[in-house]
Amino acid sequence: MDIYTMIHNSVKNFQNKLKKDIITNENVSSAIAAELTIVSTILISSILLRRINVMLTVLIILGLGLYLITNMPLISKLKKEQDDSLNKMMFYVILTLGILVSVVYWGVL
Amino acid sequence: MNDLIPLMVIIPIIAAILLNVLHGKNSLVKIVSFIIAICLPLIPLLSNYGLHYFGGHSPLIDNGDLLNSLPSFISNTNLSNLHIGITYYFGGLQKAILFFLFLLGFLAIFITINERKRSSGSYMFLIFMALGSVTAMLLSDDIFHMYIFFEIAITAQVGIILSSNDDQRYETAMKYMILGSIGGPILLTGIGFLLGLVGSVNITDISNAVKNGLIDPISPVFLFSFGLIFFGWIYSVGLPPFHTIKSAIYSKATPSGSAILQALSVVIFLSFGLAILRIYSHLPFINGFIIFFSLCGMILSITMALIETDLRRIIGFLAVGELGYLGLGFGIGTKLSVTAALFQGLNELIITALLFIGFGVILQLTKTSNINKLGGLIESHPKIAIMVLIGGFAMAGVPPLNGFQSKLMLIQSALNANFPELAIIMILISIVTFMTFIKIFHSAYLKPKPKDLTIEKSLVPRSTILSIAILLIICIVLGLMPELVVKDFSVFVGGLI
Repeated sequence: MDIYTMIHNSVKNFQNKLKKDIITNENVSSAIAAELTIVSTILISSILLRRINVMLTVLIILGLGLYLITNMPLISKLKKEQDDSLNKMMFYVILTLGILVSVVYWGVL
Repeated sequence: MNDLIPLMVIIPIIAAILLNVLHGKNSLVKIVSFIIAICLPLIPLLSNYGLHYFGGHSPLIDNGDLLNSLPSFISNTNLSNLHIGITYYFGGLQKAILFFLFLLGFLAIFITINERKRSSGSYMFLIFMALGSVTAMLLSDDIFHMYIFFEIAITAQVGIILSSNDDQRYETAMKYMILGSIGGPILLTGIGFLLGLVGSVNITDISNAVKNGLIDPISPVFLFSFGLIFFGWIYSVGLPPFHTIKSAIYSKATPSGSAILQALSVVIFLSFGLAILRIYSHLPFINGFIIFFSLCGMILSITMALIETDLRRIIGFLAVGELGYLGLGFGIGTKLSVTAALFQGLNELIITALLFIGFGVILQLTKTSNINKLGGLIESHPKIAIMVLIGGFAMAGVPPLNGFQSKLMLIQSALNANFPELAIIMILISIVTFMTFIKIFHSAYLKPKPKDLTIEKSLVPRSTILSIAILLIICIVLGLMPELVVKDFSVFVGGLI
């Protein structure tokens, strides 16, 4: 299956993924726009890694691009993870604190 | 007129206590709160720039006679530079931010007085206490003092959420408090580490200690304090992973309450952001950290805003996403970028308030904020629709409005600092913000009115229309004459970087 077909199929899946809400043209086109926004901004952001190593950046962008496209639609998963559940919020808060402190401390060693 | 500097904090706090005591006396609460709220914006305008030392405890170096009488191990060392008491600094930046913050406070109180038949002294207490707290944070040069007022501001925020009529307000407020019980103590622990290392909580003293090599900037304790204070900062401003709860609290308060809540977040962002830049600017990775979290905040918030169907939640996510621009300005770390970030902060404070109040009218008229159930409101309220439309353009960065000026400065600063990726992302996010805004505007105003939608016949209070108009005028004036505030911001940043 080529990449175009994969993207096309994932777009067709939007309606099923968004079935909890009332389906309108606006909702579906918003979800597609959000999907494209998240993929493009993540890929552009990862170019910032060129300040660390250019080769590493190329590899990461290729890997990330492939991962993002093969896992489309991302937005329904993202929405699920970002609901108002206290459990999920707490999970991400603790995860962030752990990573932040570890990275800062690791920087010293 | 330097004595007016502490009054910017003292007057709101005294007003808060007084209004709480007067709770139940409807007319008196309205009159007193109106008079104090209208006088508050005048204080920053009348006050002179300068420093205020609480208790008169200025550093020894400023007191020549006393310094000469002391032994040389005090007079000839850095001890003579230490700030013994709490210090407030008032300059051009503080003047502009506080003027607009107090003006917004006045508008929120003005709307509340007109909307509610019975004015609550306790609600006024919360608004004044919140205003006083963030003012203290912006003026203070003492990070522990900032923390104390930060906690007061958070508690006041919770109270403002609880005072709305939303069914989920208790649940949201409780979640915010629970997450705050992690963020707040972590921030305090970071400050404790700094105190243990430097022996002072004065930001200038800590910054001098790092610059003069009195403490090792890559010591584990110093780095650990950075990690903890940074985490507390992202909690206080709503950068990921706190963006979900932050947007939730904005959507659960009353429209004028949401306007105040987001203004508090902006001022807290600027106060702690500047403190972090001053203390930790020597750390090589600080810019990377700020850019990473700001980018995450922008991307996650804008995509969530796109797929949301609740009007208030969408504006909440947009407000959180706009904070990412401030973070990028701080993260780029040049004089132009930090100046642009401060300008963007001021603009966001005004624009988002306009949108919260403007779209709040829809909720008031239709009793729903679901965009799928709205439509056709332009027929009944064309004036408000046009004002909200221009406000949305300002948020998206359409020229010649204020949002355009600050975003253009940010993009220029990113290009100058060799960050073209950030410039592209900022443009992209602006376009998506525009798209999101047009989507909600179309749903609420332009789409044909659904058959089952009932629009209340009652008139929108004049206070609300007047408030939206005042905020819109500020957007246009700052867009056409950005130098009114940018000059002062640039001078402030010049002393910082």
